[in-house]
Amino acid sequence: MANRVLSLLIVCQVLYSTIAFGSVLDIEKEDEEFSEELLLKPLPDRKVLAHFHFQSTAPPSTSFGRHHHLFPKPISQLVKKFRVKEMELSFTQGRWRYEQWGGFDPISSNNAKPPGVELWAVFDVPQSQVDASWKNLTHALSGLFCASINFLESSTTYSSPELAFRPDLGNLRYGTLPREAVCTENLTPWLKLLPCRDKAGLSALMDRPSIYRGFYHSQRLHLTLTGSGLEELDSGIVLEQTLTVVLQPSSWRTGKSYVDKAHSQPSWSISSIFGRKVGGKCVLAKSSNVYLQFEKGLVGELKNLQKENANPETNKLASKVFLSNLSFDLSVNPDKVFEEVDDFHSKSTSILYEFSVEKYNGSHPLDLGLTWKIPVVWSCQQAPLHASRFLMGSGNERGAIAIYLRSTELSEGLKKSDIVDQSCELRVNVFQVVPWYIKVYYHTLQVFVNQQSRAVADIMEKIHVSPSKDKTSPGVMELILKFPCGLESAALNLEFDKGFLHIDEYPPDANQGFDIPAAVISYPDFHASMHFSEDGSLDKSPMFSKFQEKSLVLSYTEILLVPLTTPDFSMPYNVITITCTVFALYFGSLLNVLQKRVGEEERFLKNNAGRKTGRLSQLLSKFSTKLRGKPREPQPSTAVSSSFVSFKLILKILLVAGIAICWQYYFG
Amino acid sequence: MYSWFGSKNSAMVMVLLLLLCGYNAYSVSAETTMHTNNWAVLVCTSRFWFNYRHMANTLSLYRTVKRLGIPDERIILMLADDMACNARNKYPAQVFNNENHRLNLYGDNVEVDYRGYEVTVENFLRVLTGRHQTAVPRSKRLLSDEGSHILLYMTGHGGDEFLKFQDSEELQSHDLADAVKQMKEKRRFKELLIMVDTCQAATLFSQLQSPGVLAIGSSKKGENSYSHHLDSDVGVSVVDRFTYYTLGFFEKLNMYDNASLRSLFTSYNPNLLMSNAYYRTDLYQRYLEEAPVTTFFGSVMETIHTDSAYRILSRRNSQKVKMPLQQSVDLDDRKSVTNSKMQDQTSDTTKECPFTRLLNSFHNKIENIENVDSLVNYGLVIMLPVLMISTWISQ
Repeated sequence: MANRVLSLLIVCQVLYSTIAFGSVLDIEKEDEEFSEELLLKPLPDRKVLAHFHFQSTAPPSTSFGRHHHLFPKPISQLVKKFRVKEMELSFTQGRWRYEQWGGFDPISSNNAKPPGVELWAVFDVPQSQVDASWKNLTHALSGLFCASINFLESSTTYSSPELAFRPDLGNLRYGTLPREAVCTENLTPWLKLLPCRDKAGLSALMDRPSIYRGFYHSQRLHLTLTGSGLEELDSGIVLEQTLTVVLQPSSWRTGKSYVDKAHSQPSWSISSIFGRKVGGKCVLAKSSNVYLQFEKGLVGELKNLQKENANPETNKLASKVFLSNLSFDLSVNPDKVFEEVDDFHSKSTSILYEFSVEKYNGSHPLDLGLTWKIPVVWSCQQAPLHASRFLMGSGNERGAIAIYLRSTELSEGLKKSDIVDQSCELRVNVFQVVPWYIKVYYHTLQVFVNQQSRAVADIMEKIHVSPSKDKTSPGVMELILKFPCGLESAALNLEFDKGFLHIDEYPPDANQGFDIPAAVISYPDFHASMHFSEDGSLDKSPMFSKFQEKSLVLSYTEILLVPLTTPDFSMPYNVITITCTVFALYFGSLLNVLQKRVGEEERFLKNNAGRKTGRLSQLLSKFSTKLRGKPREPQPSTAVSSSFVSFKLILKILLVAGIAICWQYYFG
Repeated sequence: MYSWFGSKNSAMVMVLLLLLCGYNAYSVSAETTMHTNNWAVLVCTSRFWFNYRHMANTLSLYRTVKRLGIPDERIILMLADDMACNARNKYPAQVFNNENHRLNLYGDNVEVDYRGYEVTVENFLRVLTGRHQTAVPRSKRLLSDEGSHILLYMTGHGGDEFLKFQDSEELQSHDLADAVKQMKEKRRFKELLIMVDTCQAATLFSQLQSPGVLAIGSSKKGENSYSHHLDSDVGVSVVDRFTYYTLGFFEKLNMYDNASLRSLFTSYNPNLLMSNAYYRTDLYQRYLEEAPVTTFFGSVMETIHTDSAYRILSRRNSQKVKMPLQQSVDLDDRKSVTNSKMQDQTSDTTKECPFTRLLNSFHNKIENIENVDSLVNYGLVIMLPVLMISTWISQ
């Protein structure tokens, strides 16, 4: 309490001094804030969700090139240089399982991301300069985060959604790289943006092998400008960095007492899932808290179990009771307990335990542990519809994309209850980007509602399609659909042809196939938000003030892998070799023909044959010449050969004559 | 001299001499510059999981040069695939180069500058020659200067005079030699060590001709480079022999050891490597016995004591260099020129080539000119009368 009064006093003083002496440096230092929070949550499928939330804020200021004390300088430079109004960058590996891990809470709608890299940014520049800003931004981010985000600069990879993806944002560009690897080298620069790096505070928990061993990890960076009322002030920046990890606790200690192992929840502690303990807060952080959340379904289940156990004193549902619970044990007593204020007036509400890290230090670290005493089964709150996407068709020529929406508990609840008015409708936004080499025929859009074909116009409220242009832009489809409330299933079908790439455009591992980025399905009538009661002290927590904001419920579908016709990449070499062979044969024989005197040679051969061999071979040679279809006798008509022959003949005659004369002279 | 050429095309001779003086001024200034910094370009060119060992090779060298003092901002690391967080890796976010798993090469602080599809021959040559798009961030550029010592390490699959990039492209020995020559002319390095661990690595150096370049290859022509051992937990070979023994040599050293490059070169045992390591030293001027390995593998800065604080040390002393006219004859024998320049510099600094001085001022002017295209156009126009005069004289 004393602390609070003190902080209130400080805040008052700060306010007073900002009014009094506009830009005293000390005040600015006070104003930059950093806070760190960690939310832990058991998941129904025996896993644990760990959600780190770091928030740095830089207040509006008058000076242009000012120094930052806590706020990362590269980010503020980025914002200034490219005039980014809002930006979100996420690196994700693994797929968020909406059915098991929930689809209706703020974490799943804000932090469940498609695998790979997703980047969207809103710029505060004239329409004509947006693309240039985007390109430079991708390069800058690729240098900052050690990733190939610069591939998003090509106009074939990004798009500018207008309707279905976070509407009313203005100069928005959106791009994804589904196959981007996410590893330590991406996390390290992200951690370097924090004032304590990964050396102290909650970020010291991030042991790389245990994080990357998880089922899902998504690191996200979201920055927004906070507008200042005054014109001359630079706007302030809020940088929100979250890391969402789904981990499998390694200890299975509870297994002993239960026969039904499948339903028993594993007990875990911070040190068993991360391999480290929280050794105190980051001293630069304004607040540093660890939260443990039991969601609605789990709390309801626990209450039921308690009723079954028929312990009269536990029937009172005061939150204090949960501490001395029969079903689980916490190794550390929580500092505060909060209960959710629910809009839906359902039976149970989620419960939140707060652990302040300030009390702990290196010699006395915080190691929050949760031990289950009884098996418990529950399910998470679902999004209105469960969306999945798949490919149809076979072969390398054509195929079809299908988006399949299936109703979940929530929409069934809607159907039964009378919360909504008579014209009951369920609105669904679909945003899908398809690369240009998948040539989608948008006129083939078919809609099936409850397995019956329906006219597209009945379902469609709005549609915005920009077809792909070869090698320049991807195909973008944005739909706003309205389904009747009694919807059980809906399917959207689109046919496509597979295109051909130039041989230089294939990636080195083209045989693996090509990715179609995840489609975004959002439900504009539903908003995920969490309100916790209890004197509003949670309002100060940036993570929970974020949760309290009404965020659109949205989910990502699977990434599709389309095998395209890949050429035989050795073909150019084969062609070169064959062509070379053909040319060599052609030119070789041509030269042969041009250089050699065929008639001469044949005659020479014949002479040789005539001189050396007998009649038989002569006959043979005659036969062969006949076969070859050439005249038996070589033509002696050519001037050169005839003169040459005559010269030789005369020489021979002279020689024979000389020998004869000599003979005559000596022996005669 | 002039009479030998004849008075007829004296204009051409003038131009030729100007060019020669300019060239020598450049080369000499590069030779006499002080060692300013160390850079490392480490390239793994192989994709796919079974080439795990190539990434481990590269990361071994990365670890070594980082340990010996080259900071991350001066290391360009190119990894063609993601092995650490590969789905097949039993040890996520870890890369080992030894069965005993004592050393996690990936660590907590790796900065990969080019990865995945970005590792192409084009990007590699762009990094070497420094010809990037304007948007490319500084962390992806090799910002070396004329006093830099650069280590260029490459590993992957190679053959006779080529190195494969991701099984789809090739870097040929001519490309490498051209890039190095361009670097030399752009004064991007003082000394360069090219270390290659591939099959027939020696053939990749056959076209090199720039001074200041030292090259080590893991095998000679016709020889294979083999992997060292297989890790049955990881499931693939984890390191190549040449790199394994290189790392073995460096693990014994720290930043202040004075092991010479010669001792590194002699440490390779052909029986252990199962190939003959090849060195090309003919382009390198220093004695290998005198050059410590930290010339390339570490960053040991020379401290200079000055009397006054903040006095900038002049690096370019090309004006002191005497430029004899006879050197124009030695066009084909540039090496002797560069070797003799030391004596020239020490013996007579009084005689200066007038062209050098002229050219320096000219060069300074050129550097200040903003509109390069118009200058080129003017130059072309001036060429015409010169050509006409020379043809007119020769008639």
